[in-house]
Amino acid sequence: MEYGLKPLGRERFWLWALLTPTFIGLIFGALGSVIATVVLSFAKWDLLTPPSWAGVSNYVELFKDEKILLSLTNTIKFTAMYVPGVVIISLFVAVLMNRRIRGVGLFRTAYFLPAVTSAVATALVWNMIYGRDTGILNFILERLGLQPVCWLCTENAMYAVVIVNIWGAIGEGMIIFLAGLTAIPREYYEAAEMDGASGFHQFFRITVPLVTPSIFFQTLISTINAFQAYDYIYMLTRRGQGDSSVPVVVFSIYRNAWNFFNYGGASAQAIELTVLVALLMAFYFWLERRYVVYE
Amino acid sequence: MKNRLLVLVVIVSLLLTACGGGQTPAASNAPVTISMMMWGDPAELEVWNQIVTDFHQANPNITVNVEVSDWDSYWTKLKTLLSASTPPDVFAIDAPLYLDYQSRDVLMNLQPYLDQNPDLLKGVYPQTLEAYKTPDGMYGLPRDFQTIALFYNKDMFDEAGVAYPTGEWTYDDLRNAAKQLTKIGVDGKVTQFGFSADLWDMELIWSEAIWAYGGEVIDADHTETLIGEPKAREAWQLFHDMLFEDKSWPDPNTVGEYGDDPFLAGVAAMTPVGHWAVPGYAEASFKWDVAPMPKGPAGQATSVNSAGFVIGKASKNPDAAFEFLKYVVSEPAQKRLAELGFACPVLQSVAESDAFLKQSTPIDHKVFLDSLAFAHMKPVFKGYDEWSSAIGDGMAGIWTGEAELDPTLDEAVQAADEVLASMK
Repeated sequence: MEYGLKPLGRERFWLWALLTPTFIGLIFGALGSVIATVVLSFAKWDLLTPPSWAGVSNYVELFKDEKILLSLTNTIKFTAMYVPGVVIISLFVAVLMNRRIRGVGLFRTAYFLPAVTSAVATALVWNMIYGRDTGILNFILERLGLQPVCWLCTENAMYAVVIVNIWGAIGEGMIIFLAGLTAIPREYYEAAEMDGASGFHQFFRITVPLVTPSIFFQTLISTINAFQAYDYIYMLTRRGQGDSSVPVVVFSIYRNAWNFFNYGGASAQAIELTVLVALLMAFYFWLERRYVVYE
Repeated sequence: MKNRLLVLVVIVSLLLTACGGGQTPAASNAPVTISMMMWGDPAELEVWNQIVTDFHQANPNITVNVEVSDWDSYWTKLKTLLSASTPPDVFAIDAPLYLDYQSRDVLMNLQPYLDQNPDLLKGVYPQTLEAYKTPDGMYGLPRDFQTIALFYNKDMFDEAGVAYPTGEWTYDDLRNAAKQLTKIGVDGKVTQFGFSADLWDMELIWSEAIWAYGGEVIDADHTETLIGEPKAREAWQLFHDMLFEDKSWPDPNTVGEYGDDPFLAGVAAMTPVGHWAVPGYAEASFKWDVAPMPKGPAGQATSVNSAGFVIGKASKNPDAAFEFLKYVVSEPAQKRLAELGFACPVLQSVAESDAFLKQSTPIDHKVFLDSLAFAHMKPVFKGYDEWSSAIGDGMAGIWTGEAELDPTLDEAVQAADEVLASMK
């Protein structure tokens, strides 16, 4: 298949001339660093002295090193809670925000605000909410006669950071779902109403099937974001000099490379992360073919 | 089509070579520009710009471009520049991390220059030079140093009727005073702590206490971690008792609630820290002063650490770069650093002059200099960061109350020893 007009003669020259800077950026920047990462993952390199061949030892470490395994487990746990959380809650919020109510613009802005606020600044605010002795959340719990909870202690920190990350992602999810929801013709609902379908039925029989493309897209984006999540997690769980009580893979990569001079190991971890995301994507696309409805 | 591609390739390669621009080494008397990189905040940049301007006046042929980044970005940027073989001519180094770079052969040996200037380091505190010595000479020079002292909130001591800390205090006195200064509410919540200290890195409390109890942190060859030996354990036990029995010392989770510094937040009566905290604490709304670190069964001990400058091995202007290093340890530059108030000057004559002792913050600055008499050098060895993380991360669970002291300490020592073994 061919689309549009084919460039001819001089046009073709300028086409290439104007595209070259982008291509150079792409080849040296994106593709180059991907290839470099793959090569480095088989090397022992401290950045300052020449790299030496390390075979698959970096990959063996991925399965042996307890710290690396812990960070992988944390990332998987995080993703398993974060992705459904973001998709379900932001769909719910989008449905609420898709009504003609007074001040809906204000509410939409409020839900979107976390997306445009500095993660570091909001993480500090969340620190004040989660504090054990001085936190607002525990203050409320105690007023209700409940026991205070140490939200950021190791046993609860994972849930605490999942909540903050979901909170930060609702805004963007809501935008995606709102776009999907407004595309659903009102006639469907009117027809359903006439047939006596309840709101519950309308939601699951009309809304959900027709926003499956948005659900698919949002799940994809959230999964990628979950694997790359770092800023809120680090700000809420950091301790000592550069340690975190909930180390995730991205954190572990950064620390191995920049603090511990282990660029080979960090590259292997980066490849591992990419492969995991790619596998999940393949699974999603398989699901897409079976379940996603395009009008 | 093919010809045009060829033209493009030529254009691109021309562009690339233009970017990589040829540099010719400067003749000895021609004006040169050297680059200098360091970590710091805006206040420090201002003072360093002043030092650089003074230096340029004294050496009109040399211009220095200063670039300052925050601590984390500094190391990332530096490593990237070093790996691209385009390091700044002069850059700052923290003594414990010095061997990570020196051992990887990216620093210039300063010994030939030092041999030509035998009097250069005469007035410099010898304790601050130790860290930079290697078997084949010095690859760096200190610019300022830090000893750790005990900062105390006078208002809290006055209110509780407790006598201020003195140089004669023992760790038992510290513990008792901390207990008296701690306020526990009716609901069991601590509203004021007697003491607070960072337990992650050795510099603020644990190396000092281990030394005072007669223990060691690491052996002389840097092959064995000694913080699990019986004498060191007495120090760890003291911390544990203060945190969990006396509740006079907040755990790390609580510390986080107070912006990571309960002393500055006005909820802890004492904290051990270096002179770098002085400008920040000067803004506090309470009265405070400093005292030497307490004594232990084996005597008094504190930690001394320095920040210094090194020259990149790939520097094209090593002569000019060394001129600048010479200037940094000279009196005019050291005076400016003293006025900045973050650290102690390495030049004894400046440190003992009014420039340092009569700074705007009215505390006993002399404590930091006198502490040198019983200071141990913060260890300097390759892999310090990773070793320190193995201990800090490994023991974190103890201080949050989630892990037992003794077995966790054993595991941390083992993890730290593995790091040391991997550095050989």
